[in-house]
Amino acid sequence: MTPGEASAVDDAVDRVVHTRFGTFAVDPGAVVRFPAGLPGFEACRQFVVLSSPELAPFSCLHAVVGPAASFLVVDPRLALADYRCALGAADLARLDASEATVLLWLAIVSMGDDGQACVNLRAPIVVNPERMLGYQLMPHNSLYPVRHPLAAA
Amino acid sequence: MLVFTRKRNQTIMIGDGVEVRVLRVGRDGVRLGVTAPPAVPVHRREVYELIREENRRAAAACVRPSGTPGRATAAGELARRRTS
Repeated sequence: MTPGEASAVDDAVDRVVHTRFGTFAVDPGAVVRFPAGLPGFEACRQFVVLSSPELAPFSCLHAVVGPAASFLVVDPRLALADYRCALGAADLARLDASEATVLLWLAIVSMGDDGQACVNLRAPIVVNPERMLGYQLMPHNSLYPVRHPLAAA
Repeated sequence: MLVFTRKRNQTIMIGDGVEVRVLRVGRDGVRLGVTAPPAVPVHRREVYELIREENRRAAAACVRPSGTPGRATAAGELARRRTS
């Protein structure tokens, strides 16, 4: 990210965030913009991906502007090794990415009714680290479930 | 609500970028084709609502694992590592 792009980040971004996983300092250059928000959290447009050795392999996707929103996320390929999700031209355009862009994939973790941890493989979050743009995919024909049981990793 | 009668292959325009075309009319359903600019997401409503509910549920259940948190790293660092 260039300094010019960093200045585009909202000055209202929290410099320190308090999550259920502890307190983290936020580097403004680490803020990922989600122009469409996330379904259910449409007002949350700026997030950070927080990682720590204790949290690994999980990360915390945390909103830094607007309503409080925090998600535990994990690489979907850790939940399902052969996970595949195709991006269409419109998805790539939304992420300002090309076919060659290395993207960060995050699946949201939730608790199933039986208390078993699950991951949402149906609607993964994709981040383009080169543009710090994120978007929650909702492929029309995905056969992956919204609650895929997370085996002990 | 605006109500239109459309025949097969007829369309309606929404704004200047979204077009909805009736492709087929069956006994139990209508097949529609939607053309929209990349910036306009198009979803089946029930899929959007399912994802919305799962997101809300996940945010509510974002529980604290054992252990104390350490230094934050972020996608920004990932980007710098990959582009350096």
